[in-house]
Amino acid sequence: MVLDRLFRYARLVCAAAVLAAISLAQGPAPVAARTNWTIDPARTQIAFAIDAVGYPRTEGHFRRFEGRISVDFERPEKSSVAFHVQSGSVDVGSASFSDYLRSPAFLDADRYPSIDFVSTSIQRVNDHMVRVSGDLTLLGVTKPLSVDVAVTRDAGGGRQRLDFQAETRIDRLEFGMNSGYPLVSREVRLVISSAAIEL
Amino acid sequence: MIALHWLAGALILFLIAQGWIMIHGGFDAATTFDLYQLHKSFGFVVLALTAARLLARAAFTAPAAAPKSAWEQRLAAFVQASLYALTLAAILAGWLVVSTSPLPIPTRFFDLFVIPNIARPDAALFARATLAHALVAYAIAGLVALHVAGALKHHWIDRDDPLTRMLPRRTLPSPVREKGRG
Repeated sequence: MVLDRLFRYARLVCAAAVLAAISLAQGPAPVAARTNWTIDPARTQIAFAIDAVGYPRTEGHFRRFEGRISVDFERPEKSSVAFHVQSGSVDVGSASFSDYLRSPAFLDADRYPSIDFVSTSIQRVNDHMVRVSGDLTLLGVTKPLSVDVAVTRDAGGGRQRLDFQAETRIDRLEFGMNSGYPLVSREVRLVISSAAIEL
Repeated sequence: MIALHWLAGALILFLIAQGWIMIHGGFDAATTFDLYQLHKSFGFVVLALTAARLLARAAFTAPAAAPKSAWEQRLAAFVQASLYALTLAAILAGWLVVSTSPLPIPTRFFDLFVIPNIARPDAALFARATLAHALVAYAIAGLVALHVAGALKHHWIDRDDPLTRMLPRRTLPSPVREKGRG
């Protein structure tokens, strides 16, 4: 009897060990592979800068936006990101200047209230960098845009956080934003820093 | 008439100084934008004041010139007439700059209403109007210096009354006040 029990116990231990080995070989459970995140507005800044001849560089940012990120750490190409920025929330530090930028001359915020970026593919560049390719829609015109994004995973205490840093340049003429060209440069620099929290 | 003179004079000097600072002061884009709007708004205030002063001159007889030599009278008259003419020229050139700019930015008069443009965007005309606006502004600064020098010469060298006459009445023994006091 005692021997019988001992054998049964040994079989159980073996079975558990085999199961553990199999699950380790397979990696984390599939449910945990893809996680959804939302951007934290307090830690996000969508800034831009544009140069002009005979005028100081105009620097500003957008105050209202929302973003959703879906991350697969094992297979980054399965990740996706979507950003929606309210064009009317532009702020360059002067109410009348911001009003002017909302006018049809530039952002035409009444007709095109949203500036959107939706990713189409994401590639891993290295441990801290992904290349996000997607479609940028500005003034109703959609153009492909590819951006290198530095990603930092911040798991320190409590809720997990992902920090993003990205910088890119777009050609505003491609979107039909022609006002003031060539006095006002065609190139617009975009600097985005953001943090996402897990949903 | 006298109040209009000092108000217009102060605003013209303010506009010249502000115009220089908003271009050469190294301000950021937002401050520069606001300074341009302020400059344009005050420019139209001076246009209205200058029109009012010219109408007043036409309606009432200007006070007789102080006794002085013929060349001095001619110089004083020339400087004063030039100041009126160049003030109008500077404002019209400025209005043309704003209108012909390749990036026409609406002129919001003290953020109350939009003042229409007088021409279409035209890069060549814009460049010429910009140069003219600056040159006329410097010319006005020079004429104001002459005008002030003339007034001070009357006051300190000739010791006659044109400057005193232009100062607020409380600095002078006024018959009305004397009566009021008594």
